[in-house]
Amino acid sequence: MAEERGSRHSSGPKGRGGSRGAEKGGPRRSMFRRRKVCKFCTDKIDFIDYKDVKMLQPFIPERAKIIPRRISGVCAMHQRKLQTAIKRARLLAMLPYVTD
Amino acid sequence: MSQKRLYELIYIVSPDATEQAIAELHTQVDAIVTRLNGELVKTENWGRRRLAYRIGKHREGTYVLEVFNGTGELTKELDRRLKVTDSVIRHLLVRVDEDLKTAERDRARRQAEIDARVAKGLPPLGQGRRRMHDDAGDDDDNDRAEV
Repeated sequence: MAEERGSRHSSGPKGRGGSRGAEKGGPRRSMFRRRKVCKFCTDKIDFIDYKDVKMLQPFIPERAKIIPRRISGVCAMHQRKLQTAIKRARLLAMLPYVTD
Repeated sequence: MSQKRLYELIYIVSPDATEQAIAELHTQVDAIVTRLNGELVKTENWGRRRLAYRIGKHREGTYVLEVFNGTGELTKELDRRLKVTDSVIRHLLVRVDEDLKTAERDRARRQAEIDARVAKGLPPLGQGRRRMHDDAGDDDDNDRAEV
């Protein structure tokens, strides 16, 4: 196990690999990770309304694609509700399907 | 005899339609709803809005929202009528009672939780609830306090 890990580190960029080794064991990404919390859970929004364009807009940046929850940090339940809300709003031309 | 449910209908009227035509359309919808034992709860005219993309040749449209009680047959009839109406360029009919019910239930549950905490003499915002969401987070104070 330890051997395997070592070898993986050495395959990375040299300078960083070295400094990493000193820190011992900490997964690489832990450095920048900020815990993301579901916006709808913290704001206590129970009902995601498809008519509320302002609320949905942050979830469809530039290309108008729905952002994955691994990035937005939205919980599974709310992502599901968000998805239907966005799709309904799109049908009614309140949100775009694509932008270019 | 099917059950009564709450529905929400939004339709986009073509921008060429006059005020009068829009009012007429509304009375038509109202007539269908009442004829099939429904009941109109709310109507909102959002006015002319820009569409996010073109529908046919239109770039704008007048949005009208109607909320009503009714049965499944009623929605079928409304759907059919709106589809054949030329001045309606798009419509969406969705059932909302279920969603509103769950939202209300969640709200009630949270309120009960807060009440229970206040009764115990604790601050209304619980730690347990917060930790559920950011357990592996960067708030070390919390973890240390527990040990």
